[in-house]
Amino acid sequence: MVALEFADFEVDTCLDCGGIWLDSGELEMILGQDVPIRVVADSGDVSVSKRKCPVCNKKMSAYATRSPRATEIDVCTTEHGIWFDRGELSTIAESLQEPLRSTVLDQMRAIFTKEF
Amino acid sequence: MWELIQQNKRRSIVLFVMMGAILLLLGYLIGAAFAPPDGGLFGLVLAIVVWGVMSMISYFSGDSIMLNMAGAKEVTREVHPQLYNVIEEMKIAGSLPRVPKVYIIETSAPNAFATGRKAENASIAVTTGLLEKMNRDELQGVVAHETGHILNRDILFITFAGVMLGTIVILSDMFLRGMRFGGSRRLGSSRSKNGGQGAAVLLVVALVFAILAPIMAQLLYFAVSRRREYLADATAVRLTRYPEGLASALEKISASTDDMPRMNKAIAPLFIANPIKAAGARMSNLTSTHPPITERIAILRSIAGGVGYLNYQQAYSKIKSTREQVLPKSALEEKDVPTARSASPEVVTGTVTSSPKRGINDLIRAVNGFAFLTCTCGLKIKIPPDFGKDSVTCPRCNQLNKIPVAELAASVAVLEGIGAKGVEEEIKSESTYKRQSQSWESFKCACGRTIQL
Repeated sequence: MVALEFADFEVDTCLDCGGIWLDSGELEMILGQDVPIRVVADSGDVSVSKRKCPVCNKKMSAYATRSPRATEIDVCTTEHGIWFDRGELSTIAESLQEPLRSTVLDQMRAIFTKEF
Repeated sequence: MWELIQQNKRRSIVLFVMMGAILLLLGYLIGAAFAPPDGGLFGLVLAIVVWGVMSMISYFSGDSIMLNMAGAKEVTREVHPQLYNVIEEMKIAGSLPRVPKVYIIETSAPNAFATGRKAENASIAVTTGLLEKMNRDELQGVVAHETGHILNRDILFITFAGVMLGTIVILSDMFLRGMRFGGSRRLGSSRSKNGGQGAAVLLVVALVFAILAPIMAQLLYFAVSRRREYLADATAVRLTRYPEGLASALEKISASTDDMPRMNKAIAPLFIANPIKAAGARMSNLTSTHPPITERIAILRSIAGGVGYLNYQQAYSKIKSTREQVLPKSALEEKDVPTARSASPEVVTGTVTSSPKRGINDLIRAVNGFAFLTCTCGLKIKIPPDFGKDSVTCPRCNQLNKIPVAELAASVAVLEGIGAKGVEEEIKSESTYKRQSQSWESFKCACGRTIQL
């Protein structure tokens, strides 16, 4: 994973698979407010993810989301951060309400030209 | 000061002898229980050998084992000038023979420890959480506390006593496990009818002692290491002449809920505050390696009239409402008591980073040999040393950027304190920076420094 920094905002990303890792607190930094992960992951379904947290190397929890599309985002159980597969972050962002939605999309577009 | 160290040494020796006695008795009893009547001697010898080997290892590489266990990485002045400065200051204030080596542990929990054999080869390790959360005065307070441990000859003692405690735990654990798997059979098939009863009694004694020994040794160990914390606090106050710095640092440390994930019981007593919070909360005051942090803060805050050892002792007596002397007599008789200083003004540094966390993260990346690359579109790309390719496509503007392998090598060279001349020259011919706007711009030079234009 490489870290990308632009205009006071930083994300870790895997350049091969296009996944994005947000350290704990970074999602809040993008949104400019405290958003509990449950807001992002709307359904209550939580299962054990296959992915491991890049910080503590323990298996993460997979939070299932339904709207607008069914996805699963991986969250470290000890709150090290959140992993988004390619495209998941934009899907999640679409489901957020304004102005959070455009905040996330603008920030991410500032860094990525491709799908994020 | 000299007598202070002497008293500390004496106390160390008493602890050492008592723990040694526990160790030897344990060895003897285990041996005697397993193979009476001559086994006792064998057990005794075995205990000495095990302890001797472990002591040798810890004497010659105890500090590096500790630092490794804590996951600490060495840094130089170039990587974190402020921390280095503070440590250098304390070196001068405490007249240490050498500047301690500086290590950084990557964890969000604020904490610090000192290790080494003696003042000449001591090391001080601080966590990134500490650097992130403390201001200069607080950082100085913490570093001074660790310098206090070095000055008071605590570091070698803690290492040795820790090893002895570890040996006792290992021996009794081995014995108890052995009992569970093969002991009962041995007990039933006594070799002779006469000897059988004696052996059985011995076995019970050994069993009880094996259970009690680690607890006794631990209590002994804790009792002494807690006194040392007070003494190190008192020394820190004297070195910094500013008790509030350490007090508010301790306050911030105790307010933090972060746990240090890689910590274990062996290195816990080394830290300025117990790194295993969850375990610490359950333990009673009796078994805690550290005095209650709130009490330490209260003592520091009620120091009045000067910042000498006597002032600390007075504050201690007031807060604990006891006449007990926590500091040695010689320390309380010092003549010239230094006066307290006021808080140092908040210095606005020239760094542009908006969050301190970002700076700390970059620091850790620098320590870990990351390459810092700024694409012409303005996106900063931070590449790990194991990236494996020599170019990277910018995800913002799709431009192909060459990864400055020379920079990577140079930053590693800087970190290791080697002025690799050849590498530097190579960089000089390669690095060019194009201005992207009309205003101030900062970029990372190939040597690792940030340059502002």
